[in-house]
Amino acid sequence: MNEDDRNRIKELLQQALPPVASEPEPERDLWPAMLRRLDVHSAVPPHLSRPWLDWALLAGLAVFAALCPASIPVFLYYL
Amino acid sequence: MNTHPCLRAYLAGVFVPTLVLPLLLAVFIVVRIVLQVPVPIEQGMIFPMAVVPSFFGLWNMLYLASHEWTHLPIGLHGAILPLLMAPVGATVATGLHVLEFGSHGVIWFQACPVPYALIAPGFLAALVGYYLVWKYIVGFLNRVLGIA
Repeated sequence: MNEDDRNRIKELLQQALPPVASEPEPERDLWPAMLRRLDVHSAVPPHLSRPWLDWALLAGLAVFAALCPASIPVFLYYL
Repeated sequence: MNTHPCLRAYLAGVFVPTLVLPLLLAVFIVVRIVLQVPVPIEQGMIFPMAVVPSFFGLWNMLYLASHEWTHLPIGLHGAILPLLMAPVGATVATGLHVLEFGSHGVIWFQACPVPYALIAPGFLAALVGYYLVWKYIVGFLNRVLGIA
């Protein structure tokens, strides 16, 4: 690659890449959007939310109420 | 919707007890007036009507205020509430003669005997019930009202 080729590549690159503005700050604050994306990624994925455990707890609750019906008015007292 | 988040948290919290209350009133009318069963349901209604909704609303406001630094899931936050409500409710019930302590167990409403051996499992069942109610109902309402 000779000097002419280098200059040609340099010109092509300068034409392809727009010049950076004198004020490089974005128009709006991007940090809140970044925090939202981080929250989304840190949330528990659906396959780890263990809905089967909640169903098991609900079933256990129903079994307890069936075995001890006297507890039902007590539960209602606390709701 | 960023205005009055504490008010929205309170309203989301009182939603469940407010739904249960008509059911209790229906039970009261049927048992006390229709069937004329001599149990002190009137005294037993005071705690669910006057105290429980406030507890739920204030507890959800506390969740809103503390979630920033505790990061506790709402189900677990709700499951803590019986630790506070159980002694308060038992104290109120004892004072109103709704709860009596016998030799083998406690007697609720002068008609529902609960052996002492069942109190611990019953308390665990209450924790489970509160966990599910708070996780699925109050948590859903918090998301709907934009405070989750």
